[in-house]
Amino acid sequence: MSEHIQAALERPSLIAFVVLFLCGFFVMTTNSNMIKKLIGIYLLQTSVLLLLVTIGVKQNAASVPILTEKHIESPETIAPAAYVNPLPHVLTLTAIVVQVATLGVSLALVAAIYRKYGSLDENEVLQRIE
Amino acid sequence: MRDQLPVILFLVPFATAICLPMVGLKAHGWCRPMALVSLLVMFVLAVGNLLLVLKHGEQSYGFAGWSASASPPLGIVWVNDALASVMMVTISFLASLCLLYSGPLSPATEKPRIVPYYALILLLVSALTGIVFAGDIFNVFVFLEVAALSAYALVALAGGRALIAAFRYLILGTLGSTFYLLGVVFFYATTGTLNMEDICQQFTKNPELLHSKAVVGGMAFLFLGLGIKMALFPLHAWLPGAYTHAPDAISPLLAGLMTKVALYGCVRVLFWGLAAGAQTEQLPALTLLGGLGMVAALAGSLLALAQQELKRMFAYGGISHIGLILIGVSQANQTAFAGSMFYLMNDAIMQAGLFFIAGAAIQHHGARTVADLSRLRRAPWLVTAFIALALSMIGIPPTGGFFGKWHIILGCLEAENYLAVTAIVVSTLLTMAYFQRLFLSMFGHREVVPDSAAGALAPSTKLAVGLTALLVVVLGLCSEPLISIFRETAAGVGL
Repeated sequence: MSEHIQAALERPSLIAFVVLFLCGFFVMTTNSNMIKKLIGIYLLQTSVLLLLVTIGVKQNAASVPILTEKHIESPETIAPAAYVNPLPHVLTLTAIVVQVATLGVSLALVAAIYRKYGSLDENEVLQRIE
Repeated sequence: MRDQLPVILFLVPFATAICLPMVGLKAHGWCRPMALVSLLVMFVLAVGNLLLVLKHGEQSYGFAGWSASASPPLGIVWVNDALASVMMVTISFLASLCLLYSGPLSPATEKPRIVPYYALILLLVSALTGIVFAGDIFNVFVFLEVAALSAYALVALAGGRALIAAFRYLILGTLGSTFYLLGVVFFYATTGTLNMEDICQQFTKNPELLHSKAVVGGMAFLFLGLGIKMALFPLHAWLPGAYTHAPDAISPLLAGLMTKVALYGCVRVLFWGLAAGAQTEQLPALTLLGGLGMVAALAGSLLALAQQELKRMFAYGGISHIGLILIGVSQANQTAFAGSMFYLMNDAIMQAGLFFIAGAAIQHHGARTVADLSRLRRAPWLVTAFIALALSMIGIPPTGGFFGKWHIILGCLEAENYLAVTAIVVSTLLTMAYFQRLFLSMFGHREVVPDSAAGALAPSTKLAVGLTALLVVVLGLCSEPLISIFRETAAGVGL
């Protein structure tokens, strides 16, 4: 048990991820207010994106991978450790776009529900339908 | 040209989806012909693609000139093999049929909604194309989300109760794709690649990777996410509401394609991405999925038996069939794999056909519940198609449903998994029971309610309903070539 705790403490970003993830899940499942549900799911998605970004981090001040003429002429001078892996960042950007689109659609839906039933509370809306 | 066919297949509906709002803004009448032509062009191209793949074999396409065969693969790769091209033909065919069926929209829908309606259908179809061809797990995520976003909006188009159903679908669907993304992150962190083929090679090279906690956790999240997307039994809560309240012309499209394509994505990840890793001591994914499949097959048909509403009953029927296909997939032998892929195709057509009939029954005969079905006696076209589809749903020869189930059962016997055989047989009996209820209400000695409102079916609706019914029989009669294609596919991934 103790070695698990130690392993977790060595990676604080993972703890932050788990806390955010569980907070999001809790907010999403326990609220009947639709906007609060959306806030929860947004938090959940953001926590996964945070994890995705942190796995691309390098400790020793690595820089952006931009190749110059000099590098192309002599490829053996390129030191991989000096550059950050760009792929996690690209994936994160794509996932953020997906997240924003989802948020847009969901807010439009909630707005439509509010206009139709005059309430943001899911239970209240269900009562008004019956 | 030939290697670019998958991209062209994707671009045809996608480009039309973008152009359609510009044209449709001024001329509403152009929307439907434009969408229909684009889907028909897609269908013709998909058939051509299938013939070419069968003749010349599998091909990969690397985007933006990055070599698809480089190791490690650098670019985004789309894989165009026999399984993908068969799926593509099914998708484009069913989508064209749904558009044909939808005809003039129901009178309740206002004019301005016509434009987003057709644009969203096209967007949904192009996203499904992306899932089918995608060669890496992140691409599957993006296209799953695009498909799901269009599906939420399409469900919500019906207004009223559909808004609540769409909101629930959205919450659960987003949760599913977030879980899937988390699985992808874990896989990327351990293997450093997203390409399915490359992941498979990494696992063969370093088998100890398979025992790492990150991979086991990643797999769990990946399949949890896909399970929500394909409405696997305990995670199915979004499906019945969404399909019941969706517009009548949309539920066939969603029922036929959404869950099936998610299941297809799951099969891709299982056999192309994980391969040997799909069944380890830490996480016997195949055994677990097979067990869940058995539960889903039984629970889905039991719940269907208890329903009063027609569309809801068919929705639960679809859930039980997802379980059935999963049983076949999880046996990990050629016969069961080929049978379940054949059943997947068949099920897409059956579900679309049943929802066509349910939609026509509501629109033309006001028959929303099982008890109202006697009104359909005046509609021989619908009843005939319904009988053919029911035979296939139950699994009576010579329909496609029988041959699919037959091969799945043969595969289970080959794997000596008698529990799975029992589950399939019991689920079949339950399916028979709920169709018995439908037939009793249709032909029983109940007094026929005079049906003054019944309008004549539009010719395009008749064509769509008739074609699905015809196709399940034709598929059954010509099952052998398809089964052998799927057997070869299974042999290709080492089953």
